[in-house]
Amino acid sequence: MDLLQLLSFGEHGWGAALLKAAGMTVLLTLSALVVGALVGSAVAAAKLSRRRIFRYIGDVYSILFRGIPELLVIYLFYFGGATVMGAIHHWFGGEGFVDTPPFLVGALAVGLISASYQAEVYRGAYLAVAKGELEAALAIGMTWGMRIRRVLIPQVWRYALPGLGNVWQMTLKDSALISVIGLVELMRASQVAAGSSRQYFTFYIVGGACYLILTGLSGRLFNIAETRVQRTQRRNPNA
Amino acid sequence: MNQSIETALSVSNICKSFGSVQVLKGISLDAHRGDVISILGASGSGKSTFLRCINLLESPDEGRIVLDGEVIEMKHNANGRLLPSNTRQVEAMRSKLGMVFQSFNLWSHMTVLQNIIEGPLRVLKRSRAECIEEAEQLLHKVGLFDRRDYYPAHLSGGQQQRVAIARALAMNPQVMLFDEPTSALDPELVGEVLRVMRSLAEEGRTMLVVTHEMGFARHVSNRVVFMAQGVIDAQGTPDELFEGLPTERFRQFVASHNQRAND
Repeated sequence: MDLLQLLSFGEHGWGAALLKAAGMTVLLTLSALVVGALVGSAVAAAKLSRRRIFRYIGDVYSILFRGIPELLVIYLFYFGGATVMGAIHHWFGGEGFVDTPPFLVGALAVGLISASYQAEVYRGAYLAVAKGELEAALAIGMTWGMRIRRVLIPQVWRYALPGLGNVWQMTLKDSALISVIGLVELMRASQVAAGSSRQYFTFYIVGGACYLILTGLSGRLFNIAETRVQRTQRRNPNA
Repeated sequence: MNQSIETALSVSNICKSFGSVQVLKGISLDAHRGDVISILGASGSGKSTFLRCINLLESPDEGRIVLDGEVIEMKHNANGRLLPSNTRQVEAMRSKLGMVFQSFNLWSHMTVLQNIIEGPLRVLKRSRAECIEEAEQLLHKVGLFDRRDYYPAHLSGGQQQRVAIARALAMNPQVMLFDEPTSALDPELVGEVLRVMRSLAEEGRTMLVVTHEMGFARHVSNRVVFMAQGVIDAQGTPDELFEGLPTERFRQFVASHNQRAND
């Protein structure tokens, strides 16, 4: 079979499977990024807290999730999750082995790893925000919620964007590790296609190209977003 | 209290320490409606800290603040620190005190117009159309209507400060607080900001102005307060102070300023 046939969307081609898997990779990465944003901003807040206990918790989080290999974190979540869910299942009188949903575990594991990196991005961004602008919000009578929503988040966002571009790429590549727990995303689909057709090199090249397209496209998107956000900072509005 | 109708703002016995340094040692000041009070003093005399204690950007260790007859509720916490006990009340009070900062502090992600309507729109919950209409009038007043869609980074310091004044005015505050509004400006930009401030004084706005501008203190304000080492060393009408030179410290302060002007 030639390459075109292998990649075709027809009965014997792998095109449709790979495309679907690429969609799964994007979905997984987006979910992980959202988990990472929520947990990451909480960790950043903890690290910036005046209370020592919160700073300590934030530091421990970073040490754990940046210090353990990603693959091991995924296994811990997968098998740990299975144990916990099995225990709950048996508690309610169920029997046998309970499967943990791989997408959920994957999004959570990669998301929590992403959170440890995002936390550093948010922390740095917060420190870069001009504190006078927050003070002006205070002085005009804004509530805590308004100050966060109207002044802090837009500013943090602006400073965080370049760093988030990096984290996104890392998270996208980390998502490939989820293939080990059986979720059919791009990496797993490439493996399956490679194995069944015995065209290993071809399909790993194709898989690699797909990742490059995804990272390239998202890089472009981040560049556009950055230019838009930086517009407010340029000195000459007409340039 | 009949007095409260006349008195826009009354602060008494404000004390504040940073660590072991006592910056304010019991400052009291009443501002009547339409008063323009210049607060002078060498750097480190505590004048900015005093201003920031009034709208509780700094919390004073001791003291009482009454705005428009309403006492701001403060309580000592377990560590003996004095803290405002009613957040809502403090927010409402701050919205009635227009603050202008030395470093402008415009919100850099918003245009000039967005900066000005933000307060009335979000804090006072007025309609957008109404806010925009008033913001445009204020922009005409400070001479920046043609800059309404610019971002702060695109403006000169003097222009930014005029926008900051318009932003504070948009809240229609009872009292305007100016914290060294011209100190961060290039000398050639000071005049445009002082002109706006002078026009506000002529409209009868109640203003507290921490400043180094002797001309403003002498010719625009109706009262001058001179602070030194955390206390009010001298106060009175501009004539009483600048002609009378009541204290040795104030004499020295004026002399050093004249010296600098002649250098």
